[in-house]
Amino acid sequence: MPGAFRSVDPYRHILPMTYKSGMRIEGMVYADAELLQHIESDLTCEQIANVATLPGMVGRSLAMPDAHQGYGFCIGGVAAADLQDGVVSAGGVGFDINCGVRLLAADADPGDVRDRLEPLLSQLFRDIPCGTGKKGALDLGLRELNGVLREGARWAVLRAYGREEDLSRIEECGCLPGGDPELVSVRAKERGRTQLGTLGSGNHFIEIQYVSDIYDAPVAAAFGVRQDQIVVLIHSGSRGLGHQVCTDYLDLMHDGMKRYRISVVDRQLACVPVGSTEGRQYLAAMAAAANFAFANRQMMTHWIREVFRRVIGDAGLHVVYDVCHNIAKREEHLVDMSRKTVLVHRKGATRAFPKGHPALPSDLRDVGQPVLIPGSMGTASYILVGTERAMKETFGSTCHGAGRAKSRTRARAGISADTLLQDMARRGVLVRGQSKAGLTEEQPDAYKDVHRVVEVVHATGIARKVAKLIPLAVMKG
Amino acid sequence: MNPGYEILEHPADVGIEARGPSLADAFAQAAEGLMSLILDPAHVAQRESRRIDLAASDTEQLLVRWLSEVLYLFDGCGFAASRFEVRLPAPASLAATVYGEIFSLSRHTVRTDVKAVTYHLLNIEQGPDECVVRVYLDI
Repeated sequence: MPGAFRSVDPYRHILPMTYKSGMRIEGMVYADAELLQHIESDLTCEQIANVATLPGMVGRSLAMPDAHQGYGFCIGGVAAADLQDGVVSAGGVGFDINCGVRLLAADADPGDVRDRLEPLLSQLFRDIPCGTGKKGALDLGLRELNGVLREGARWAVLRAYGREEDLSRIEECGCLPGGDPELVSVRAKERGRTQLGTLGSGNHFIEIQYVSDIYDAPVAAAFGVRQDQIVVLIHSGSRGLGHQVCTDYLDLMHDGMKRYRISVVDRQLACVPVGSTEGRQYLAAMAAAANFAFANRQMMTHWIREVFRRVIGDAGLHVVYDVCHNIAKREEHLVDMSRKTVLVHRKGATRAFPKGHPALPSDLRDVGQPVLIPGSMGTASYILVGTERAMKETFGSTCHGAGRAKSRTRARAGISADTLLQDMARRGVLVRGQSKAGLTEEQPDAYKDVHRVVEVVHATGIARKVAKLIPLAVMKG
Repeated sequence: MNPGYEILEHPADVGIEARGPSLADAFAQAAEGLMSLILDPAHVAQRESRRIDLAASDTEQLLVRWLSEVLYLFDGCGFAASRFEVRLPAPASLAATVYGEIFSLSRHTVRTDVKAVTYHLLNIEQGPDECVVRVYLDI
């Protein structure tokens, strides 16, 4: 709603507790004037306020510059709960648990791939199933699937999908501890069993890009990224398994709320106390689903390396980093001047830890955590680095992408797939997608301006620009 | 009143508004709407049927569980349903027979992946001559 915010500076806008009855904490949006207008035009404000009504939330109910209306929580929302008094909400993580992004950096320049983009894309399409109804190459038995849910990316590496050194460059080393396959339903496993190693559809993609700009040379070097380097960005999540886990636990939490005498203003915010049986069960199932997504991106990494090897020769393709966008984490943060462990919900937001943080691998501890921001199809993506400012203000979090600006219906109506493909070709981007409707729904104009979003996070200091990546070819599900 | 469904706009995802002379009809139409998002229903033959029996604590939860079940039939069991006979024998209780066939990429035209059914802006209106349900889906 316009006028709801009190701006403290051009990029920080408080949603006061007086905005809505029942708010226990303030809200805060990070946005410039134009992005704020977008945010005020849908239900994002209402959702920031609704999250602020949940029991035991600490600090502020936050929204990043790419925020837009979601379910319960807005997309681009961050909120932290006290472990004793607070709640965990499955909707605060979302259906696509550990939807996230992984960046690979190749030993190659644009000249090495420019004439080979067609065969690269064709081979990627052959080797990595994507889109609705496509099954993965593996049909996992229950014991193997349980192993995936416990071990995450390590499960894949132990089966020769990738390298041991990949793991340290993944958030949580590719395995969220405590993933319990026993707490993942049979139907979630049925959905996931044939989907390991598949890209998915919607806004999931694999993009071949090159590094067009370096903004912070020493940090880029530490990340393993250089000017004009070819990189590959993977955006994918936990597929049907994660979606079913969230569905199952939302249902469980609805029933649990009665027992704990919690009522919520929005049913999609169904929640239970963090320390309750249901809360602990959800977090263990969520971890299992997150591990499925880590394993998924690990397998796709392996196949991407094989595709490059076949088409242009061995290209290295080391992992720069892999981040979650939809997750809940127990992390230590400064709350009311003292350090405490809280449960941070990030729904369409990225962890952005600063240099020195113990969660980072030793080779990144002097510089900080890579933050990967995919742009909309055919526009730029960015690499940023986490900061102390993020730790102070946003529970170590920042934006996750560009955020939608247009509904899928309007995006489809605005342009035909053929026109879109021609536009992309004129921009020098080769695009292949499984469905024409899927392509038009993901056109760049359907999203906010990623450059704007990144400028805001950079200006506010909750992440800092390191490099810009320009796409050459896009594979969409 | 024309029974049927309509696809609704949403900033990030998609909604369905379904209507019928009774709540059971509206539930059936909502399921048709859901499957129409995933596949072109014109190519889904009704070779087989599946039985679904559900209960919930209220009608809203029943609607979400019903559509989640139809979605699971597709994504977990590979069964594409195109016709739905729904009865609501008791408050918040559902018995349905769904007709369709095993999903086949070569026979069926896929449209989009639906991740889940949400409670977002969910609404159920029951009038004497018409029932309308509105539900949003995460895609």
